[in-house]
Formats: sequence, structure tokens, C-alpha cells
Amino acid sequence: MSRNTVAKKAASRRGGAVKSNAAPADVLIVGAGFAGLGTAIRLLAAGVDNIVILERGDEVGGTWRDNSYPGAACDIPSNLYSFSFAQNPQWSRGYSGSGEILGYIHHLVDHYGLRRLIRFGHTVTSLAFDAGQGLWSAGIAGGKLVTARAAVMAQGPLSNASFPDLAGIGRFKGHKIHSARWDHGYDFSGKRVAVIGTGASAVQIIPELVKQAAHLKVFQRTPAWVLPRMDYAAPDWSKAVFSRVPATQSLVRGAMFWAHESMALGMIWNTPMTALLQRISSGFLRRQVKDAWMRRQLTPDFRIGCKRVLMSSDYYRALQQDNCELITWPIATLSEQGIRTAEGLEHQVDCIVFATGFDVSRSGTPFPIAGLDGRKLNQEWARGAQAYKSVNIAGYPNLFMTFGPNSGPGHNSALVYMESQIDYIVRGIRTILQQDLKMLDVRAEAQLGYNKGIQKRLSRTNWNSGCKSWYLTEDGFNATMYPGFATQFRRQMKSFSSGDYLAL
Amino acid sequence: MNIDLDKMLAKVRSSQWALADIDWDAPGAELITPEQWPKLKAFMSDLMWIEHVGARGFAAMAKKAPNETLKQLYIYFHAEEQRHANTEMALMRRWGMLDGEEIPEPNINLRLVIQWLDQYSDDMPLEVLGSVIPMLEIALDGALCKFLLDTVNDPVCHQAFARINDDESRHLGVGFHVLEMQGHGKLYRMALKALATTLNPKLMLGILAYLPLLNRMRDNIVTMGLKEESLYSAMQKYERIGGRTAAGRRNPWFQIISRHGRLVVNRKHFYHRPVDALVRLTDHYPRRLLRPVPTWVKQLTYKTTA
Repeated sequence: MSRNTVAKKAASRRGGAVKSNAAPADVLIVGAGFAGLGTAIRLLAAGVDNIVILERGDEVGGTWRDNSYPGAACDIPSNLYSFSFAQNPQWSRGYSGSGEILGYIHHLVDHYGLRRLIRFGHTVTSLAFDAGQGLWSAGIAGGKLVTARAAVMAQGPLSNASFPDLAGIGRFKGHKIHSARWDHGYDFSGKRVAVIGTGASAVQIIPELVKQAAHLKVFQRTPAWVLPRMDYAAPDWSKAVFSRVPATQSLVRGAMFWAHESMALGMIWNTPMTALLQRISSGFLRRQVKDAWMRRQLTPDFRIGCKRVLMSSDYYRALQQDNCELITWPIATLSEQGIRTAEGLEHQVDCIVFATGFDVSRSGTPFPIAGLDGRKLNQEWARGAQAYKSVNIAGYPNLFMTFGPNSGPGHNSALVYMESQIDYIVRGIRTILQQDLKMLDVRAEAQLGYNKGIQKRLSRTNWNSGCKSWYLTEDGFNATMYPGFATQFRRQMKSFSSGDYLAL
Repeated sequence: MNIDLDKMLAKVRSSQWALADIDWDAPGAELITPEQWPKLKAFMSDLMWIEHVGARGFAAMAKKAPNETLKQLYIYFHAEEQRHANTEMALMRRWGMLDGEEIPEPNINLRLVIQWLDQYSDDMPLEVLGSVIPMLEIALDGALCKFLLDTVNDPVCHQAFARINDDESRHLGVGFHVLEMQGHGKLYRMALKALATTLNPKLMLGILAYLPLLNRMRDNIVTMGLKEESLYSAMQKYERIGGRTAAGRRNPWFQIISRHGRLVVNRKHFYHRPVDALVRLTDHYPRRLLRPVPTWVKQLTYKTTA
């Protein structure tokens, strides 16, 4: 469908409610990270080219643009953490760093000519659906509305980072850095540095900072299960083989997919493999950490898989360096000169690195979203987000999400899940455009039935086994993870049941 | 004693203090008399170690807590007991009782208890530690700290112990709440479970370490001038508060510990003969059999900043 056709149709529907100075696009996409760009690539391939990508930053890359801290890397092998339709034979390592992943994203933008579709510096402040016209309009901070027949929320679950709500955080007079907003101008050499948090980012930052800082204090609240990361430098011959015979890279990717898929057996559900994984992780800890008390401090008291499993071969070693100290006392408050812990000491530092994660939206929306009859999504999601197949929400026609509710993997590449969602979204959007629908709205009963099944299955998973994690709301509702194999997720996303939708 | 644990956790979080909140150079240290000094040094050392041992007990309890709130409370109590030990060490330093940077040497019974805690406390059921800790706390709170404040005039000491006692009152509140919480359920089942636990060799070793420690502490304290009766009345307080409700009385471990308390109180009882003999015997315990001091002990410090 051409841009002009869509513009004419939309113009004929326009009743003046939506004030925009441009003709509506076919699709507006919020976010130019992996998900937004991937959706645009697949839409273009499907013949939909009237696309607007709204990006709040001034560059593409999303989480890989923002997370540029020292040591930043993906904990899924690069051959699997990339799009199957755009494989990169040149990955330099088994687990590539953020710079190389960002380079891959830039390559996608150039190769598929996406830059022309992106409007940088466009922060979406709201999304509202006009049922009369069948148009979504996106409010832009300091700008005009952008309208489109379909909207894709690809802003990412890990895109908002802020300093944690710690007592006295405003009092600290030293330097503060958030892992997702790294200050590359700060020189750590000779400095006393504190790292708050011991999650996925922290285990990558700590081994790097310990090489630079005079003294590093690591403040841990809850230890996580850690497994060694089998990283390696990719030899030139494998790059050459992958370049010349792409099928070989697909084979390797397939093998990696199934190896990760098998991990679901231990990580998602409590099986004999769960105990085996815990033993492997405990054995790794025992081999790496000599001191019994430190091992106790680093031993989790929840089942493996309940929280994100960390992959690092150098984290434990870094903690045992002479200039590093692991502190497990609760933080009482921040003071002018450092961090006061509950055992009564003030740990004085020059800089605090907050590796405290992201503001994950489990029970709200990143900005107000209004659907049919003015219904507000953040009100409907107040007790936990719900969607149909993680992609659509009843009452919000023509709206699609990547990494919507219950689409998170705990054992496999997020991009595998993302690709399935993208293909599903493309089918939905093509249906709207080809059938010239005003509205494609998932039926409420279909969504309800889907979620009943999901929550029933979740109740039997390790995520819901009692630990406190960012996967769960304060009330313990799991709106984040998909309770199954990636293969199951792929299969569910392959079928587009038109009977579950109301088409107008 | 029924308390709202969530409110208690919020209260604990908002009541944190640091060693830096106390002016350790303020006048008053000179009020310690030369006669008092050597006895006070030994007393403070024991007190500090008891706090530290209690801290490790709370760390073990955090692993066994039946819910997240209680776990968080125990994590804080672990840190707070450590803070008390650090504060007492800072007082010792103020009074010139520390040998440079050295941590005061624990007596052999403390060493054995530390060793037991390090090796086995994480394997103990919550009922055992949850019943013993309030007994130790009440003895500390009701007898030792009171004795200290009655005999020492240094205002900094009073200021520090006002903060410590505030913390301890919260520890005791939670301690007795848990004691009662564990008195719910079928009596025969609780009794059978308690019986099975007492047959655990790890617990037996713990009892063997604990009994002589209690008697040695009693002897040390009496030497310092504390009236034995005040220690006994503190122990009776445990029986009175713990046994206030039916649930508390139904807790077999409360029964075991309070009855043991009665034995400890009765100096004429035969119980003291073997236990006092054990105290003397431990004096001859071969030091080479002691395991290296665990690293959690090395976290003790008199410093306000690090």
C-alpha cells in the first residue's frame, strides 16, 4: 500500500480531532532499538514502507546505546543474539561487547536504509486512539502529534534508568554514575569507588573497575547464581567460513538455540536439572572463592532461575582482589562522604556507581495510553500488565507491543522471542492495511483465556517460587516472563487466529 | 507479644545510626578509675564478643526465616549486633583498652562457640536459635548493660548504650514474637520435632560449647562486682515474658531454655558440678585443635569510617 493511498484514506476519515500537520503514516514505531528497527525491517520486507520511527535519543541502539559501561556485553552468544535474517559472520567474540553490538545495529540501519524513517529527538508523551478515524496519535514532547493507522510500542522494557530511592541519596557530595548512563569522562584511577548492586550489569563492571580504582567496595543486597561464561575470541577461519557459507553460521546458531533451550528445563521449572545447575554454580563458587564466609555471602538462598542467572568468569576473581571488598551489610543511608551501613561504619568513597538496574514497568505504561472510549491502559494494568500473546491488548485496537507482558525469556536469546513477536505484528499490520480495517481489536475473552493459561503455567515456575525479583510486582504478580520454551513461544506466535480478533 | 513485623521493619530501617554519630573524643573518658579499668577491660571484651556471637546467630536465623519480612529483620539485627560490638570496641579504644589495632582476645569458651557457630549454626532449625537468642539478649539487656551503666560515669558510654538499648528492645520484641509464633501447631508434633533436634549431634556439640560459656561468663561477671542475683532475675524475666501466653508456653524450646535457666539460677543444684568441671576442662583444650578464626570475626572494628 503506497504512502499516498494511505494518506488519502486517512484524510477522508479525518474529522479534525487529531491535530497533526502531516498525513498519517501506516505505522508509527516508538523506539529505535533492536525491536523498533527489527519491526521496521520486517515491515519493509512485507511491502509496508510508510513508517515513522519515533526515537527520543539522537542515535539508534536503545539499550546498547545507553549501556556503554566498561565491560558491557551480552550474556547470550552473539551468534544467537542477532537477527536470524541478518546474521553477522564477523562477530569478534563468543559474547560480544556493547560497542560491537551497537555496531551491528548501525549496520542494520545502513543496510536496510532505515535512517530516513527515524525522527530523532522525538520523545513520545502519550498515545491515543481515535476510533472514528482508526488512527493512533502520538503526543511528542515540544512537538506536533504524529498519527498512524497502527502503532508499535518498541520502547523496550529496560530503557528507563534512574538512581534508586536510597535514604540520603541527595546528600552524597562525590561523583554519582548510573551504569546505564556511563560517564566516560570520569577517571577512576586512584579513586575510592563504591558499586551498589550485584546484578547483570554489576558483574560486568566490577572486574573492569577493580583494574582501575585504588579501592573498590561492592555493596550487595542479594547474591545471585553465577555460571561461568565460556567466552572466546572468534578465529579468523570461522569468520571466513561463516562469510562464504552462511548456512554454517545458521547451523551454529541452531545448535546454540537448542543448547539454551535445554536450559529451560532447569531454569524455568524445578526439575532434577535445577539441582544439577545449582550444583554446577555452587561448584564454580567453591572453586573460585577460597574463604568460607565469603562463599556464604555469595550463596543465594533461592532456587536457581527464580532471578536472572548471571554469566561471568571473572566476577568472583575480581571480588577477591586486594583492592576490592564485598560488603553485605544493609545500606542505612548515604552521607556526604559515602555510604553508611547498618553495622555502623561510614564507607567513604569518591564515586558511587549505581548498577541498580532499570525502572521496569510491570504495572504501568511508560506514558499515558488511551484506547477505545478513553480507557486508560495504566489504570487497567494497575494490578499487573496483561495482553494477548504479549502483543495486543483488548480495547486498544491496532496497537502492538514488542516485549509486552509475559514475553521475557529466562534461558534463551531475547531476540528469538522478539523475532516471533515482530513477525506476528507484521501479520497484524498487513491485515489492517490489506483489508483496510479501521480497527483490529483482540477480543477481551480471548485475552482473558490466554492470561488464565499463562498465569496457571507461571504458578509452577521457578520465578514464582518465592524470591523477590524484578520479574514480579510488589504483590507477586508475574507480568514479565513467558512460562515455556522459546519453541513454544515461537509456535504460539506463528498462528494468527483471526477469530480472536474483532475486525471493523 | 504480638507485633506487626512490617511496621517493625520500617521502624528498624528508620532508626539506623552510625558510630560516626557519637563524639568519641568528648570529655568523660577520665572518669574511669584506675581500680575500675582492668575489670572493665575484661568485662567490655566479653560483652563485645557476646554481641558478636549474637550477630552471627542472627545471620544464621536470616537463612531460616519463614518469610521475607522476618528475614530482612534478621539481616538488620545481624548488622546491628555487629554495630554494638563495634561500638563497645570503640569505647574500649576510648578508654585505652585496645592493644593497637588488635581485636581483644576471646576466651576459650567464646572461641569454641565461635567455631561452632561458624560450622553448624546455619544447619540449626530456627526454633533453637530463635529461643536461645532472646535469652542471651535479655541477659545482656537486663543485667550486663544495666551493670555497666550503674558503674561507669562516662557520658559517652551512656550515650552509646542508650542507642544500643533502643536496638535491643526491638530485637527482644521480635524475639518473643517469634518464640510465640513457634508455639502454634500440634503439641505432640512440636515435642517430637524438638526431641529429634536435641538428638542432632551438631546441636549436642553446640550445647557442650554453650553451657560452659554461660558459667564462665557468670564467674567473670561476678568477679567484676555484678550481683549474681541481677543476672538471675534477668533470666527469670525470660521465663516471665516468654511464658506470658499459651503459645509461648507451648513452644518446647522455650520450656527447655527456661528450665535450663532455672538450673543456672540455682547455684546449689548438681547441674553446676559437671558444667563447672567443663569450664575447667576447656582451659586445657588444645589450642592447636582450634580451627583458624573465621573471617567474619575480622570484620569487627572500632573505626567510624572505612
